[in-house]
Amino acid sequence: MSQLVFDPSKVMDIDYTKRTEYLDRLEALRAGMRTLKEVPFHPSLPDKGYTNRTLYVNVDSLEVKEKPVTQQMKDVFIGGRGFGLYQLWNAVKPTTRWNDPENEIVISPGPVAGMTQYAGTGKSLVVSLSPQTDIPIDSNVGGFYGPLLKFSGFDGLELQGKAAKDVILFVDGVKGIIRLEEIEGGPEDSHVLAELLTHLYAEGEKDLPNVSVVSTGAAAKHSLIGMLNFSFYDRRRKCVRFKQAGRGGIGTVFRDKRIRALVVRGPKVAGDMNHPVDPETIAKTGIKYHKEIRENDGSQCMMRRNGTAHIVEIMDAYDLLPVHNFQYGSHADTHKIDSAYWQQRCTQATVDGCWYGCSMACAKGADGLVLRTGPYQGDMVTVDGPEYENAAGLGSNCGVFDPDYLLELNFYCDTYGICTITWGTLTAFVMECYQRGILNKERTGGLEMTWGNAEADLEMMHQLARGEGFGKIAGMGVKKMKEYLIKQGWGDPQLINDIGMENKGLEYSQYMSKESLAQQGGYALTNKGPQHDEAWLIFMDMVNKQIPTFEDKAEALYYFPLFRTWFGLNGFCKLPWNDVVPADNSSQPEAHKVPEHVQNYVDLFSATTGVKIDKEELIVQSAKVYNFQRVFNIRMGKGLREHDAAPYRSLGPVTKEEYESRAERYDQQIITEMGLDPAGKSTEEKMALHRTWRTDRFSKLMDSVYARRGWTSNGVPTLARLKELGLDAFPEVVEVVKQHL
Amino acid sequence: MKQLVIDFQKCDAGRNCNHECELECAIKVFKVDDPAQAALQIKAYEDGGGKAVLCDQCGDCVVVCPSEALKRNKLGVVMIDKQLCVGCYMCIGFCEKDAFMRNPDWIVPHKCTSCGVCVKVCPHGALSIVDVPEPAVRII
Amino acid sequence: MIMVNEEPLAWHEGMTVRDILRARNYRFPLLVIHVNDALVAKGDYDTTTVPDGAVVKVIHLISGG
Repeated sequence: MSQLVFDPSKVMDIDYTKRTEYLDRLEALRAGMRTLKEVPFHPSLPDKGYTNRTLYVNVDSLEVKEKPVTQQMKDVFIGGRGFGLYQLWNAVKPTTRWNDPENEIVISPGPVAGMTQYAGTGKSLVVSLSPQTDIPIDSNVGGFYGPLLKFSGFDGLELQGKAAKDVILFVDGVKGIIRLEEIEGGPEDSHVLAELLTHLYAEGEKDLPNVSVVSTGAAAKHSLIGMLNFSFYDRRRKCVRFKQAGRGGIGTVFRDKRIRALVVRGPKVAGDMNHPVDPETIAKTGIKYHKEIRENDGSQCMMRRNGTAHIVEIMDAYDLLPVHNFQYGSHADTHKIDSAYWQQRCTQATVDGCWYGCSMACAKGADGLVLRTGPYQGDMVTVDGPEYENAAGLGSNCGVFDPDYLLELNFYCDTYGICTITWGTLTAFVMECYQRGILNKERTGGLEMTWGNAEADLEMMHQLARGEGFGKIAGMGVKKMKEYLIKQGWGDPQLINDIGMENKGLEYSQYMSKESLAQQGGYALTNKGPQHDEAWLIFMDMVNKQIPTFEDKAEALYYFPLFRTWFGLNGFCKLPWNDVVPADNSSQPEAHKVPEHVQNYVDLFSATTGVKIDKEELIVQSAKVYNFQRVFNIRMGKGLREHDAAPYRSLGPVTKEEYESRAERYDQQIITEMGLDPAGKSTEEKMALHRTWRTDRFSKLMDSVYARRGWTSNGVPTLARLKELGLDAFPEVVEVVKQHL
Repeated sequence: MKQLVIDFQKCDAGRNCNHECELECAIKVFKVDDPAQAALQIKAYEDGGGKAVLCDQCGDCVVVCPSEALKRNKLGVVMIDKQLCVGCYMCIGFCEKDAFMRNPDWIVPHKCTSCGVCVKVCPHGALSIVDVPEPAVRII
Repeated sequence: MIMVNEEPLAWHEGMTVRDILRARNYRFPLLVIHVNDALVAKGDYDTTTVPDGAVVKVIHLISGG
């Protein structure tokens, strides 16, 4: 066992200031733009974290108005994802679908967002009805847009309507102007568009860091899996970089509304813009945390060196790295894409971090990549990442272990506006269908989707960006691809449903949950779909054996989703919570919760807003929004037990090869867990035993979790639970629930 | 680069002086009548001798500053541009010598800039400004 | 024989905490280790020996994601 040591002499010598520029297209872009409407407003800074108003823009009627943030909104929904869900609820009807004009995209940064003294405080939460799931999706994204929007004067932005032609919404928080502009021609893909718009709206070079752009790319309009890029200007690289609101197809909604981009120009950022009630506590907490990073990160996760990619080899070592569509948990070639490699490939001699003051600085940039395929072939680009999810999803899960191709896949996902997690999981599904003869070269229109064929993978993506061929089918996502394959009569429907890794219509993120019952729940019993941002319990459950009983697992599936929801209410990032820990953390009770950091969050919230909370009240704050979101799902015709069902690949071995790759473990479970003797039984018989046992215990887990969450066995929050949380103040919420009790 | 150094053969850690260096720095540089706000802090050890908390211009803070508010000037001294500073205090947290200071009344942190006002007032002649090579940039 | 995270592991004379991590391929950096309920500091993995019959907990914290 060896801890990876950082060796600066191995870092690749790449000039991180060099890349292909597109600024010669600026004049053509300007010539294609026309003002539709311009409205003045009074810029203002937040008071105790809130500006106390949100901005509403209808891109069709061109209505622009300010809405007050009420005390009830702050008390019940806090901000961020809470505000987004509340405003979306008020905007839509149970019959509204993602492409109806009344569907909204709501962007809200949360009261703490924009703080510069603590790591991970620049997040925006984006909420919309998802084209993939038909329920609300929420996405937590970095970049400067949210904080700069708040420092311009708005706690959130609601976008409604569908424009007739492409529009850009510009908010100038210095001059007090809101402008809707029509745009003809010009680029769609983010890396070109955001670079141009940043330069177009910045008033001189010094102003570039005060401009942020939200955009997507060509793939968003031909798919259901479009993502949003939130930009930030990298002063040292002198380039525009991105963080992504990836999950659930919000980029698709964006382009369906014919929004080309959102641009904010905020005031120059300083350390006290939120006007917190207790800046001294914030300063002290922030400095303490920066010191902790300085002292501990190098011997812990090395987030400053590797970002989240530090766990690639860890997941491989614990048999948890998704390989070949979640069939296997490790691969002999993992070392080619592990953190030792990314550490030297990512530029280290610079500052990373997607908002000011992030000492964790996980946003690693790989510079000097010369593209080998597609419309930007030959261009030299900077790619962010890969983060763990990208390395695992675009890499091991598809059998791609060529790091340059991995970076190219990552680059094109970003600039085309495609969620990398979704693309990884859906491509892995396509490749397994190809392996098993459900798809073949004829059915894919010539794409040889064999494991590891990065060129075919890229071509499928380019097809999607052009709106052509099999790429367009892939862009529907796993759920609709499954329906398509079954309708075509290609392959065994049960096999297709078993191996298509989606729940609620959203693709799984990149961890193997097969051997951890708690994580099976951590994925499937989520509000928005199987994303690990609610609960990541694999170590607690499978490795540590800390939560052996159903009650223990249910408690973890109560606490962690609520704790982690809270980040999204406030504009926090999850990573600084537990990707570094204080030196004495191991001697603390409940070390896995990182108690000192929980207290930091309590202190930062109270010091910003003046609302005194403790760690128990923090959970209550989240519970209000979490249960509201569950009821929202029910209101949209989902959100019940049947919608929490999991594909069998996430619960156990679907195929003979999978069973046999872990035969020892599975045979042993037949003895210890089922009290039977595997001797003399065929693999098929043993697989059947496992299927019964595993689906049964998943069902029991659902019972336990629902009970702990205060829900009925059908997954509906009880009236008592709603009352306890004060959600009975909303008659519509009660009405939705009553129909299911 | 210009660096403030202290000679503990001469400095008696405030035992027989009035911390003139700190006071001069506070008054002349920071316009406050409080030596606790000075950019150098002399601490006496109980068993004799002492230590100084002051900036040696190593440049680690330049590397971590996200807003490019910290840069070396022509003399190699790390200077803070108050207009660019976003008050994140990463410079404070990442300073291994604890030489970056913070006054609760100001948002922008501060530190020694090797200006030398303290040198002239030290009754023991313990302080001096020296010219030393800039250290290589560290990846932090 | 010792128990590590509820599962048996063969014991040998002079076995250290580091040996256990190697045997189990526990490569994760954020660990909290108890041997018979006594916390073992990170710097002491190489020097802390484990007696036969010990109950060892190697608690992996969470990161990533």
